[in-house]
Amino acid sequence: MKTMLKTFRPTAMSVALMLVFGPALAEEPNVDELAKPDSSISVGIGNWSADRPHEGVYDGMRDKGAYGLLDADIIKRDDTTGTWLKLKATNLGLDAREIKGEYLRQGDIGGSVEYNKTPRDNPYTVNTGLQGIGTTNVTVGTNLGSFAKRDVDLGTTRELLRLGGYKNLLPGLDFKIDFKNEDKKGTRLAGWGSAALFSVEPIDSTTRQLEAMLQYTGKQLQLSGGYYGSWYDNHNSLLLQQLNGVTGGTSASFSATTPMSLPLSNQAHQIFLDGGYAFTPTTRGTFKVAYSMATQDEHLPSYDLTGANAPFVGTPSHLDGRVDTTLVQLGLSSRPMPKLLITANLRYYDLNDKTPLAGFVGNNTTGVASVYNTPQSYTTTSGKLEATYRLPENFSLTGGVDYSGQDRSQPSVGTVYVPFRTEVNETTYRLQVRRSLADSLNGTLGYLHSDRNGSSYLAANGSSPYSNQINPVHIADRSRDKWRAAFDWEPLDKLSLQLRIDHSQDTYPEDGRPYGMRDGSAQLYAVDGSYAFSDNWLLSAWYSLERTKARAVGFRQAKDGSADAVKDSHLKDVGDSFGLNLRGKLTARLDAGIGLDWFRSTSSTAQDLTLSGAGATYPTAAPGTSGPLPDIKNNLLRLKLDAKYAIDKSSDLRFDLIHERWHTDDWSWNYGGGSPFAYYTGTQTCTGCVGAGYTGVVDGTTVTSNKTQSASFIGIRYIYRFQ
Amino acid sequence: MKCLRQFFMLSVLLGLLGAGSGLALAATPAKPAESPKDLILKGDAKCTGCHDEADDAKPTMLDLHPSVLSIGKTKHGTKADGRTPTCTDCHGESEKHLAYRGNDSPPLTDRDFRKKTKTSAAERNGACLDCHQGGNRIGWQSSAHSTQDLACTSCHQVHARNDKVMGKATQTETCFTCHKEQRVQINKPSHHPVIEGKMTCSSCHNVHGDNPKQLVKNSTNETCYTCHMEKRGPFVHNHQPVSEDCSICHQPHGTNVDNLLKARSPLLCQECHSHDSHPGQAATLPNGTTNGTGFLGTVGRGCMSCHTNIHGGNSTVNSATAGRFRR
Repeated sequence: MKTMLKTFRPTAMSVALMLVFGPALAEEPNVDELAKPDSSISVGIGNWSADRPHEGVYDGMRDKGAYGLLDADIIKRDDTTGTWLKLKATNLGLDAREIKGEYLRQGDIGGSVEYNKTPRDNPYTVNTGLQGIGTTNVTVGTNLGSFAKRDVDLGTTRELLRLGGYKNLLPGLDFKIDFKNEDKKGTRLAGWGSAALFSVEPIDSTTRQLEAMLQYTGKQLQLSGGYYGSWYDNHNSLLLQQLNGVTGGTSASFSATTPMSLPLSNQAHQIFLDGGYAFTPTTRGTFKVAYSMATQDEHLPSYDLTGANAPFVGTPSHLDGRVDTTLVQLGLSSRPMPKLLITANLRYYDLNDKTPLAGFVGNNTTGVASVYNTPQSYTTTSGKLEATYRLPENFSLTGGVDYSGQDRSQPSVGTVYVPFRTEVNETTYRLQVRRSLADSLNGTLGYLHSDRNGSSYLAANGSSPYSNQINPVHIADRSRDKWRAAFDWEPLDKLSLQLRIDHSQDTYPEDGRPYGMRDGSAQLYAVDGSYAFSDNWLLSAWYSLERTKARAVGFRQAKDGSADAVKDSHLKDVGDSFGLNLRGKLTARLDAGIGLDWFRSTSSTAQDLTLSGAGATYPTAAPGTSGPLPDIKNNLLRLKLDAKYAIDKSSDLRFDLIHERWHTDDWSWNYGGGSPFAYYTGTQTCTGCVGAGYTGVVDGTTVTSNKTQSASFIGIRYIYRFQ
Repeated sequence: MKCLRQFFMLSVLLGLLGAGSGLALAATPAKPAESPKDLILKGDAKCTGCHDEADDAKPTMLDLHPSVLSIGKTKHGTKADGRTPTCTDCHGESEKHLAYRGNDSPPLTDRDFRKKTKTSAAERNGACLDCHQGGNRIGWQSSAHSTQDLACTSCHQVHARNDKVMGKATQTETCFTCHKEQRVQINKPSHHPVIEGKMTCSSCHNVHGDNPKQLVKNSTNETCYTCHMEKRGPFVHNHQPVSEDCSICHQPHGTNVDNLLKARSPLLCQECHSHDSHPGQAATLPNGTTNGTGFLGTVGRGCMSCHTNIHGGNSTVNSATAGRFRR
């Protein structure tokens, strides 16, 4: 009642109105309904008509069947003391359940406890004879004894327990503490390492994080400092992979037992202090300092192995790994004139790997090491200066320059496989025109140019003539141009439209090194629109087209019957997506919505080969290969219908219908002809192994991607609301 | 104004002609009009005198009409907390707005937070930062969002019981208003569980901060390690790009390749590795079972079929392959 004066509030006249129109007005909400916290509990059941191996990876509803739908959002507040009690439960009937309880006396003290479970089911069907899956000892079949194959489910589950606390100590001074304990268990598809055999990594680890901080918030000065510690505890440290019926072996290349090292327990401790100070109402400075020390000093479990897997004589039993990180950052934001905003930033980030060097592979007779551990350190110094000037007609002009310089430690011993740079620098210039606060048309037009270069390359070791002819993508010289246009147009109060166009182009100069990335580009076109027919009906829709391209050149040496060749790879990803949502109120009691999501992505990995010398385009030795690779298309269509019927003032019934269709022709786990890929079964030499009659392995594991998935969901929930 | 009063007088008469109880009540002498009382916040009466329950959006309506009184359901509506502001602390004293007595739209409040506001983002943000400048918002003024003229209310619905951007299941609706590229990527076959509601954009990004890429931690890797601490090492055999920046190989918002890889094996690996023998193989699929390394770079796990510990290994096996992440 924007124009109704306050004198017309609860007067005799309105009381009289109540008498006449009482029954109707009684339906109107009172202030408490509108302004006091409310709660809801939702109980229901839903059913998926089919398995959803791809779309159900994380949501706990991968398998066909019925699921309990139980959610609660209970909020109580004692208005006298400002004390909140909250309980929020989500998906209690599913594997992906979450529940959080919270107590808060606002402005004084509070605490929370949260449990959160996240499944991740491997989307592939794995059919294998591998024994011991989920343990640290797995055994593959051999000709001395193979194992019947069966389908196995791989996947992990994370279970998080989180505790939080808060206490206001003084006006503006708060203490906060946050502790997280996450157990991760399950299995992950892995490889044998010494041969391309199927293996499974057992996952059983605990991650803990503790953050405790003091925060001061004053009118001019703000400070936030404290401690952040994190601990990773892996309950498995070594996977032993065995050949069935075979022992021993004298060659580390392939013996009866292949050890696979697993991540080792490690920890990090950080102290930090952030601050901000308002020098004047228009000038503010900030700083950030942090120092971290991360260590890994576990006993190296493979150190105790013997025979072919015994360590080099000079190998230490512990790595004594230590990485120190230092951050210092200064920022300034100022409006020296009402129309001018200047922001500046300087940043120093140093990662100092203090792990001592030791030999890990070498000649036991001479004691000379050839492979060392590989500590790497970086120091990145960066800065930013940006100015925005307000122009007439709600326009503004922004110009800025960013600089980043990285000093990288030079490997002093061991083998360097890839050419290396000790310095990488990048400078970026930005220009942007923006219009904001205008009645109907706002937006930005921006341009960015950056140049990356660095010191001369240090040569990779080894005899390969090709190793030093590549510019590694992440340190290569690069010139980048990027344009962006974004418009928000609201010609009517009820209608809004958005248009977004991005284009970027990367160029990697050859500079006498013929291999590596040559150029890349990316485009994004997106249009969004929404129209409110009334307070009760809204239609929104969007379409996006995303396209990325990259061209890389490499060398293929003649092998297995193929000729020397220069590979010219043209990688392209195109993604189309479309969304439509209509939501409305059909009757006083019935809300409904319909939604459509459609995503299509196409990946192309075209590769041209320019042959030289003798040989074929692709390997001719058995089993031969097929190329070039066909494009991959992924399609997802999801149609959603929902309706909520108000039974009475405090309860609703909600209906959900979802139809989901997924299709892919991804060949990742296929042979060239399209049949399912199978891990190797056949002759595999095991030098010095003990096992009469051993000739080879019997693996044959297949990993199958379910190319088409079509499933429908129907669900019904009863929702009870109360205060 | 006059016609409004006449309308209500007529209503009174109608009321008098109503039910018996109505007559009885109407017979009671009318009390003098009381001054409006605060509905939610200390001193809100001068606002809620008009913006009252009759004016408010009804819970039954779609979320197209922001409710004013629902601020009472939020922390900003907790009067017992002495820090809780009142309407004018955020909207300004707005004398002209309050003094208006016409029938059409009144002048705007001093600080206007509506969609088509003329109040600058800095001025709107000032209302919030007066109290909320601390914690992870210390660097707000230097953040990319701030320098792009975003206001707190561009993302936050301060009066709403459920601020969409604070909800796990709804946060992306707000973020994707601008971040269209991520809206596409997050729906690709390989993605973090964001659309499933198990993660949010703010799991990785502090949108109020001035870290690079507005990440919650000081670097990309420090951010990734909060969930993927097994990749932190330090390892005996480190893979240089891994310890430098996870995003050299991974696109965290989603890709068409398993494990959020930016490209398929062997093409991804060959962006850095150029060697003789099998590392240089063309991207092809084998025609049958094999353990030949020259055939397996593309199919299945590709290069990672053997180079399993690609994030780093801790092997002490006296084999050069240990240094190539094969043990």
